[in-house]
This record gives sequence, C-alpha cells and structure tokens, in this order.
Amino acid sequence: MDLGLNYLASVSHYVPEIVALVTMIGVVFLEATYDGIEKRTMMFSFAYLGLFASLASLSLNLSSEPTAIFFNAAVIDPFSTMMKIIMVFGTIGSIYMSQNSRDIYADFRSEFVLLSIGVLIGGMILASANNMLSLYIGVETLSILSYVMASLKRNDELSSEAGLKYSLYGGLSAGLMLFGMSHIYGVLSTIQFSEVSVALKGLSSSQYGILVPSFLLFFVGLGYKIASVPFHMWSPDVYEGSPLPVTTFFSIVPKVAGIAAIIRVSHVFFGQEGILQYSWVALLLVISVLTMTVGNVAAIGQQSVKRMLAYSSISHAGFMLMGALLINQDGASSVAFYAIVYLFMTLVSFYVVGYVADYFGNDDFERFNGLIHNHPLAAIILSTAMLSLAGVPPLGGFVSKFNLLSAVVKEGHYTLAIIAGLNSVVSLFYYMKIVRYMILNKPESEEKISGFTKVNMTVVGLVAAPIIIIGLFWNNIHQIASEATLFIQ
Amino acid sequence: MHRLLDFILWAPLVGVLAILLIPSAKKEMIRWTSLLVTAVTFGLTILLYLKFDNTLTGMQNAFTVKVPWISQFNIFYSLGVDGISLPMVMLTGLLFFLCVLSSWTVEKSVKAYFALFLMLECSVFGVFLSLDFFLFYVFWEVMLIPMFFLIGIWGGENREYAAIKFFLYTFAGSVLMLVGMIALYFVSGQGVDSFNILALQGGHFTDLTLNVFGTTFSFAKFFFIMLFIGFAIKVPVFPFHTWLPHAHVQAPTAISVILAGVLLKMGTYGFLRIAFPIFPGASVYFKEAIAWLGLINIIYGALCAMAQTDVKKLIAYSSVSHMGFVMVGLAAMTIQGTNGAVLQMFNHGCSTAMMFLMIGVLYERSHHRWIVRPDGTKGFGGLYTQLPKFSIVFIIAMFASMGLPGLSGFISEALIFLGIYQEFTTITVLAVIGLLIGAAYLLWMFKRMFFGEVIDSVKDYEDMNSREIMYMIPLCVAVIVFGIYPSPVLNIMKASVGSLVSLMAKFH
Repeated sequence: MDLGLNYLASVSHYVPEIVALVTMIGVVFLEATYDGIEKRTMMFSFAYLGLFASLASLSLNLSSEPTAIFFNAAVIDPFSTMMKIIMVFGTIGSIYMSQNSRDIYADFRSEFVLLSIGVLIGGMILASANNMLSLYIGVETLSILSYVMASLKRNDELSSEAGLKYSLYGGLSAGLMLFGMSHIYGVLSTIQFSEVSVALKGLSSSQYGILVPSFLLFFVGLGYKIASVPFHMWSPDVYEGSPLPVTTFFSIVPKVAGIAAIIRVSHVFFGQEGILQYSWVALLLVISVLTMTVGNVAAIGQQSVKRMLAYSSISHAGFMLMGALLINQDGASSVAFYAIVYLFMTLVSFYVVGYVADYFGNDDFERFNGLIHNHPLAAIILSTAMLSLAGVPPLGGFVSKFNLLSAVVKEGHYTLAIIAGLNSVVSLFYYMKIVRYMILNKPESEEKISGFTKVNMTVVGLVAAPIIIIGLFWNNIHQIASEATLFIQ
Repeated sequence: MHRLLDFILWAPLVGVLAILLIPSAKKEMIRWTSLLVTAVTFGLTILLYLKFDNTLTGMQNAFTVKVPWISQFNIFYSLGVDGISLPMVMLTGLLFFLCVLSSWTVEKSVKAYFALFLMLECSVFGVFLSLDFFLFYVFWEVMLIPMFFLIGIWGGENREYAAIKFFLYTFAGSVLMLVGMIALYFVSGQGVDSFNILALQGGHFTDLTLNVFGTTFSFAKFFFIMLFIGFAIKVPVFPFHTWLPHAHVQAPTAISVILAGVLLKMGTYGFLRIAFPIFPGASVYFKEAIAWLGLINIIYGALCAMAQTDVKKLIAYSSVSHMGFVMVGLAAMTIQGTNGAVLQMFNHGCSTAMMFLMIGVLYERSHHRWIVRPDGTKGFGGLYTQLPKFSIVFIIAMFASMGLPGLSGFISEALIFLGIYQEFTTITVLAVIGLLIGAAYLLWMFKRMFFGEVIDSVKDYEDMNSREIMYMIPLCVAVIVFGIYPSPVLNIMKASVGSLVSLMAKFH
C-alpha cells in the first residue's frame, strides 16, 4: 500500500496553503500592532502580497506530477490546484471589493480579510482532501468561519439572521454528513480514498444496503455547501443578509471548493460501474436538474438584484453538478473551465452592483434605472456580464456552457443537455431584466455614483476583459482546463 | 478577390468602430458614415455577384476562406458562398443600405442606433456566409443582441415586451440547435470536419439511433426536430409565430424592414443549408408535416392579416403567410419548388421591405397606423388624392406582395405551385385559397385607406420627399425587373438548388 509522502517531504507540495496560513497570521499581527489608516494600507498590501505569493506557488504546482501527501491525507493534482487558483482569485477579488465597501464596517475590514483567508484555507483543504477526515476538516473550517462572515454586519438584523441561519443549517448538515461517513467507515473499514476501490470489491448486498443511505447522508453535507436543491433554503437569505463582499465571496469560494470535493468523491467512490455508480449518477442527475431549475425559476421574481444573483448562483451550481455526474475527466475539465469563467462573471457583476448598492443604500432593480445615461461604461460592462451569465455568444459564459454541454452530450445524456439549455433560456429572462432597467429605462436623476472612480472602473474593466477574450479565443483556457486532471489512486 | 467575403463580413464592424469614435453630437457625420459603410458593403456584394460563376454547384472555391479558430474542437473560421446564399447576401447588402436612408429621421441616440445597426448587419452576413456550424451558431445568436436593443430602445409603446419576447423565443430555439450541433460533432467523430457544414451534409447519420428515457429514437429524426424548432421559430412557422406580430409592430421602421426582409429568411436558409442536407432522410420523412405547417401559415397568416386594424400588424401577418409559401415550396423538395422558395425568399425580402418602408413613411406623417381606430372611426381615407406619388409606390409594393403577374412575387409563387403540385395536390389547392385571401386583405386595406372620403387629418400630409423616393426606387426596380426577367437571380441559384434537390431525391 502506497502511503504517499511523509510529513516532511510533503511540506514542499503544500507551500500555497502554508503561505495563505502565514498571510492570515500576519494579518492578525498587523491588526494588533498598527492603528488607523496606516494599519489598513499595510494590512491590505500584506494580504495581497501573501495571496499573490500563494497564487504563484500554485501555478508552479500546476505542472508538477500529482502526488499524495501527508500519508494520503491530501492529494495535490492539477485539478485541485486549478480549483485552488480560482478560489484564491475569488478571495483577492472579494478583498478588493471589501476595501471600499460601505457594507463592511470600517473597523471590521481586517476581520473580513482574516476570515476570508481562513475560509480559503478550508476550501483548499477540501479541494485536496484525500480521506474522509481531511474532507470533514475542510468542510468545517470552511463553514465555521463562513458563519462569522455572514454576520459581519452585526448591527444589521438581516446579517445576524443570515449568520444564525447559516450556522443552524450548516451544523445540521455537517452532523448528518459525519453520521453518513461513520457508516461508510463501518462498512469499508477505511477512511482513505486510496483504499476505497479495493474495499468496495466483494461487498455483500446487506452492506450495499447500508452504503446507499450513508452516501445520501454524506451528500447532504456537500450538497449544502454548494447550495444544491433541496439544501438551498439557507442560501438566498444568507446571500441577501450578508454584506456584499461576503456574498461575492460566498458565491465563489465555498461553491468551487464544494464542487471540487463532489467531483473527487464521485470519482473515488463511484468510479467503477455498478449499482453504486448507477444510483449516485441518478441522484446527481435529479439534483442537478432540480438545482438549476429551482434556482432559475426563483430568480425571476426577485426584487433585489443581490437576491437574484444569489438564486442565479444556485442554478450555476446545478450546471456544474452536470460535470460531476459524468464521472470522467471531460466532466472535471469542463467544470474547471466553467468555474474560471464563472469567477470573472460573478466578480464583475457583484462589483458593479456593489458600487450602485453602496451609493443608494439598497440594491433594488429601480436603482439601476437608466444607468447607461450616467455611467455608460459600467452599464455596458454589467450587461456584458449578464449576457455572458445567460450564455449568449460570443462571450465566455457561452463557451463554458458549450464545453459543459459537450461533455454531457458526449456521454449520451441528451435530455439533460436539452433541459440545461432550456434553463439558460429561463435565466436569460431575469438577466435581461437588469439590462432592461439599465439601458431601456430612463434615469431617475443625473447623480453620479461615487463608486465608479477611474481606478475602480479600470479594475472592473480588467476583470471583465477575460469574459470577452475567453469567449472569442478559448484555445488556451481550454488547454489549461483539459490539463487539470484528477489523480485517483 | 480571395478575401472578398472577409471584407463583406467585417466592413460593417469597421463601420461600428468608426462610429464609436465620432462624438455623439455630430449626428450628420454619423449618418453619413453609416451610409458610406453600407454603400461600400453593398458595392462589395455586387462585386461578388459579378465575380460569381453560375455554372458551379457547391461553394465557389474562389471565395472560400478557412482558418483554424479553436483547434481543440476543430472549429474553423470558414466562409463561403454558393447560389443559395448569394441572393441572401445581396438582399442583406441592399436592404441595410436602404434602411440607413430610411433611418435618417431617427433622432434618439443616433450614435448607438447606427452602431447597433451595423453590428446587426455584420452578424446577418455572418449567418449567410458561415460554413462552420459553430461560427454559424455564434453569428445566429450575436444577431439577437443588437436586435434586442434596437427594438427595446427605439421601438413603439410596448417595445420592452416585444424585445424580450423576441429574444427569448429565438434563444430557446437556438439552444435546441446547440444541442443538435454538439451531438453532430460527436457522432461525426470529432474530426477536422465535425463542425464543417458541407462535410456533415449528405445523410451520413441516417442509420444511427439514440436512447432517451429507455426509448430508442432515430438519431436523425430526433435532431432534425431539434433543428427544425430552432429554425422554425425564426421563420416563423406556426405555432412558433407568436413573437412576430409584437416584434414587427413595436420595432422602428428600418428594423421591421430588416426583420421581415432578412432575418426571417435566416430561418428558411437554415433549412436549406443545415437541416435538410444534413438530415435528408428525416426531412423526407417529415416533409408532408412541414408542408401542412406551411399551409397553416399561409391560410392562418392571411386570415389574421385580414382581421387587423393596425396596418403594420397586417403586413406582419402577411409575412407569416408569405413565409408559408416558402416552407411549402421547400417541403416539396422538387427543382421548381426549391427554386421557387429561394426566389420567394429574395422577392418577399424586396416586397415586404417596400411595404414596411411605405408604412414607415406614412407613420412619420400620421403618427398612428390605424386603418380603423379602436373607437370605430377611420384612421385614413382618401390618401390617393392627397398623396399621389406615395400611392403609386404603395400600389407597386402591394401588387408585388400580392403576386400580380408582371411583378416579382408572381414568378416565385408560380414556381412554388408548379413544384408542390407534383407532390401534394391537396395542399396546392388549399394554398391557392391563401393567395386569394392575400389579394382580399391587401385590396380591402387599400380601399379603406386610399379611397373614399378625404378625412381631415389626412389633408395636411406632405407627399414623399426626394430622400424617401430615392430609397424606394431600387426596390421598385427590383420587383418590376425580376417580375419580367427573373433569370439573373434564377441563374445564380440553379446549380446549387439542383445539387440540393438531387441529394434529397436519393432519400425519397
């Protein structure tokens, strides 16, 4: 039995996580040592520096051989590294947003940075998890810090409610997941993913009878993290109640981490054809269809843009689940591709929505009336992001959907592909709703929104550029995504 | 010469960039720039016509462009032109040019209007010139974005509803097409030719089956239906036509012209280029059903037109009826039927464009379009004595649309009837009734608007000015010349239509 690398030898593969951890501790120290404005600039620069360093070491890892480390507790393969890169980008993007957001109390900015890096580390552990214990540690690190993040705006009723709701649901689902895991351990007598394929052979039918419900319970935990239907009820309230940068962060990092974990778990436990695989695929299929449909249909009637985006991110999770249920490399690669584009689209839309919401104090659709007249660039960029989210060519969102649907059709899931396609028609309706408010409606006043400064617009433009570039020339990104291979022992 | 198609396709986009650089206050300069760009583009399409070799079937190698785009998926930037796409390309060039002239009176956000308008032209050319399915799909969808804003910003009262309805309907159809396209890519082996429309043609997929919910379907039939819905929404074939009256009525004049004149033809072009040749077996299998749907279009569209009191809506429904003739002609899969259908696509493009332009001219004077107002009073009356020039052009447009012998609509309808009689006798007989209703609603409308007592509001209308006459002349010439001497258009398409029909004949 190959135990993977020992602790000391593993460290060199674990640099990105360690750098992130050091950054997090550094932020604590800087927070405690300095005061006032000085603290803030120092702290933010340090956080960016640390995260970019982590990003750099991740990109070095991208091309290295897949390795199991820490006695098989974690695995470093191109797929997990890819997902981690997306998460780090998402964290950097959210931190940039928090820097000026009115939604985050001025003296809580370092707490936001601190917590988000903490969640990021949890996500990284989750994406690399190679046994059930590290998987659980990842989920919990991710969750517990998220609860705090949700209630960061502590004087706000909605935010406190969000935090409480999140922790109640989260606690329950984590408990159920642990319960499922303990049964799986009872049947397979191993927690190591590397030993599962051996342990699964020669099980009796009564053991299968225990395994199937245990996997159901196990899925509850992960399904909750990505807010898949029917474990999505917390998500709109949490997304709406949380401060905007937190919402941005939530719709990227935990989601990507959860999807990465689901994909790995699907490969490890259900890689071999049989009754287990069949039922798991059926479960994911139903959940994926439900998730995208419920998310889309519920998004239609929303009055708050933030809440609409929350529901839309539920439906995107449903899309990414399609890649998971294929249980093959194509599925994993196309999810990686999807997540890359999703990252940019989400950041752009939350940035623009955030500046508008910050200025007006709320994010109802009416606040976007006639944005094109006062801020043409912002309106055009947000419209591009919306069209891309709906999957209209020639934008990145279309290409990522094309990739995902290709992987689905290749496996012969024609009906699923058609349902997914029709879902993007539904999503077009509510994405165009905000475009209609921005471009077709008359502005209520000629006020300039203070958030759209030159610097901010440059950043938004830079984040938006990949949406268009990937849509037109996706050779390289596709190449990178298809090299994001999973390493399954 | 080798790059001519590139120039035609991208010239409008260069125009968009040029317009974006002009300050929005310089409205005249923006208008003249767009006019220049569309004129040059139209000139290029005429050049293409002159260099076109009538004797060749298939794509004209002299113009074909093929450059790798996305190598992992074997997607190419590949353009080409043959006898079926050339008439459409020329029609596009002509109508966009004339529509810039007709849009001279647009005053609201001129810069954005013309930028979107030229963007639309680029995407329409892209649809007609693409030989790569993926590229075709991208242009097909990109077209929706400028169209949405053109209807949504410059349209009538209910513009937002019309714009979003149009967008959603077409998007829904194309999503089904997308799934079909991806499926074709995989069954054709993911090779160099898997997105190549020409290589996919020829019925390679006749014997494949697929499994949906435990039931076995014929692959070709299943995905033919997917593609059919995608294209049928665009045509629009009954029962997918409900977006059309809204979009047409709410759209500004020039956009209605483009919508009826060019965009509807993209649907039938899709049948000719993609659905029929790629799945010939399935098309032959379903041809009777398609013909019946086409017949419903003819009769139902004509009856709906007759019931309208808004003259623009009347013309919109007449388009539904006329596109029904194209569908029936295509479904016959005979030489005359297909020739007639392609010719009808071209002729209807000219005649319906005239009708919409004339109504636009009238609307600029009257600011309403009621034949009979909702309160029962007359909207127009005695236009004939007040606006003689206008009436003469209107008569030409109306008769061309009606299919009067000597005007272009007659030739194509006659060819279609010749073609379908061999295949569907009942449908032919019933379709003639549609022709009759067509004459009835047009003449009735004419009588109510142009004859009778001159009502007060009509008295101060001015007759057509020289700009308006200028953009009507080319279309008048076209409907008259091609009504007497249709050979220039027929000769172009003959070889290409012939090869398509002989392909279909193998599967009878």
